[in-house]
Amino acid sequence: MNSKTTRLFAGIAVIVVAIVLLVVLKKDDSGSETSSNASGKVPTVVIKNGKPVGGIRDLTYNKGERIHFVVDSDVSDEVHMHGYDIMKDVGAGGSVSFDFPATIEGVFEAELENRKEQIIELTVNP
Amino acid sequence: MNLVLPLAHALVARKDLPIPAWLFAWGASIVLIVSFFALSAAWRKPRFEEERWRPLGAGVSAVLMSMGAQALCGAIGVFLLGFSIYAGIDGTEAPDRNFALTFIFVTAWLGFPLFSVILGDVFRPFNPWRAIGRVVGGAFSAVAGQRPAHLDYPEKLGRWPAAIGLLAVVWLEVVYGASGGVAVGLSPDSAGLAALIYSLYTLAMMAVFGVEKWCETGEIFSVYFGMFSQLGLFGVEEGRLGRRLPLSAATHWATLPGSAAVVIASIASTSFDGAQEGAFKSGILQTFEWLAETGLSLTASLRLTDTIFMALCFAGVGLVYMIGVRGMATVRGAPPLKKLRTGFAHTLIPIAFAYLVAHYFSLFVFQEQAQFTYLLSDPLGTATTDLFGTASSGIDFKLLSANAIWYVQVGALVIGHVIGLTLAHDRATAYWGDYRQAARSQYWMLAVMVAFTCFGLYLLSVANA
Repeated sequence: MNSKTTRLFAGIAVIVVAIVLLVVLKKDDSGSETSSNASGKVPTVVIKNGKPVGGIRDLTYNKGERIHFVVDSDVSDEVHMHGYDIMKDVGAGGSVSFDFPATIEGVFEAELENRKEQIIELTVNP
Repeated sequence: MNLVLPLAHALVARKDLPIPAWLFAWGASIVLIVSFFALSAAWRKPRFEEERWRPLGAGVSAVLMSMGAQALCGAIGVFLLGFSIYAGIDGTEAPDRNFALTFIFVTAWLGFPLFSVILGDVFRPFNPWRAIGRVVGGAFSAVAGQRPAHLDYPEKLGRWPAAIGLLAVVWLEVVYGASGGVAVGLSPDSAGLAALIYSLYTLAMMAVFGVEKWCETGEIFSVYFGMFSQLGLFGVEEGRLGRRLPLSAATHWATLPGSAAVVIASIASTSFDGAQEGAFKSGILQTFEWLAETGLSLTASLRLTDTIFMALCFAGVGLVYMIGVRGMATVRGAPPLKKLRTGFAHTLIPIAFAYLVAHYFSLFVFQEQAQFTYLLSDPLGTATTDLFGTASSGIDFKLLSANAIWYVQVGALVIGHVIGLTLAHDRATAYWGDYRQAARSQYWMLAVMVAFTCFGLYLLSVANA
């Protein structure tokens, strides 16, 4: 390969690396989401008319932490935490508390099982 | 307007975490370094154009290719197809408790590409429609005393029916269920019915054009799985099993028209499935809301939105490939555009396979635990059957750590990239007599491969984020 093409490709490589860095740095800027539940308050998901108020709630934990949240519901249903496979009934106007260790990594849904309505997106980072 | 996507979780109770930024950066850097190395350490004469096929021991072929073995495999295939249709239509509507969905869209749809690469064209003996077609054809010959007559297959169509069919399968799997971004959104009932309709269509086409002809060109699963089998070490020639130079068979695969469309459809549909729950998520939501506000029903809006994005994926992947081909055509001594277009299609097969591994590896590992435990013991999901005593087993999601999944994903993309480059460079040395021009033409394919691999990495980095 001659030096001209080498230089051409070095140029392309620099550009691509620059783009990669840009993407990476941009991601770091918005990377403040990991400490969403570090404040010590127990997150409460409020269900109104069978739907989560404010949309599907994102909860993020690291592996090994304790996952603790409360569901306040105005409808009677079963709250199913998928992946961890924990199911708890909640009555209309009642509330139910979840408290379990984050042992499985990944992204999981909790839903109102009978309504097939997702209420929580649970992320467990390694 | 307060619109909520009609969500329904289907098969998967767990989704992959996005790959972390540092791994994304490392992956992309390795891809670049590897690509440079490929340019400087290139060979000058084609190495993969000849298969150098050698038969395995006669005993192995005699057993594995015997009429009895073929009949047994065919019978297993027909049984599993029939059972899937039955389970889908008659079993529970809970997608994760019904044998049919996992068997069709995970075990078969993802398992056959994997085992085809490792073992060769394993789908062929198990192909239920081929088995039925051969039995019916044989019976016809015995009764009528002559071979069944067939129409000539329009050669121009080539593998286009399979390419379109491939998109249709993924459309059915991901879009039709209109479940808003879950892996398999289809209801078991629809899956069973679709399998039944596809069986009737396939058998009709086989009757019209002949069993083997249709398997070679139009039968989606034969063409799709057969494509991946071209990468591997094992192949059948003249009724005998043999070993060949890995990757070499792929160099002769894309000779039929529409072959490039099959590979592009594969990459595009996997991209779409990955992007809909990450990169395209907000775009899909916006389009969906816009369509829903025009008065379309929610389901129709979501289906239409997903269809548009899937079509865009196909167009986008095709466009990148065509830019590469057009670029190569500008290099002195280039063969005609048409020859280039088909001549480099096979170099995307490793990329297509890498995309499959990257996007479905964890789904396959987790869902196969279900397949071989509770879905086997209680295939209809009745909650009262327990054939093998494993009906109450669950999926162990701790089997794979997030890190293990990330490394497999990135590793698959990088390896696919290297193999794609290898095949492209090899083909260039065959097409351009002059080594320097061959190397020059490959700047274009290198750009194509880097684009696909970095796009794949990007999709992983924003998956489910």
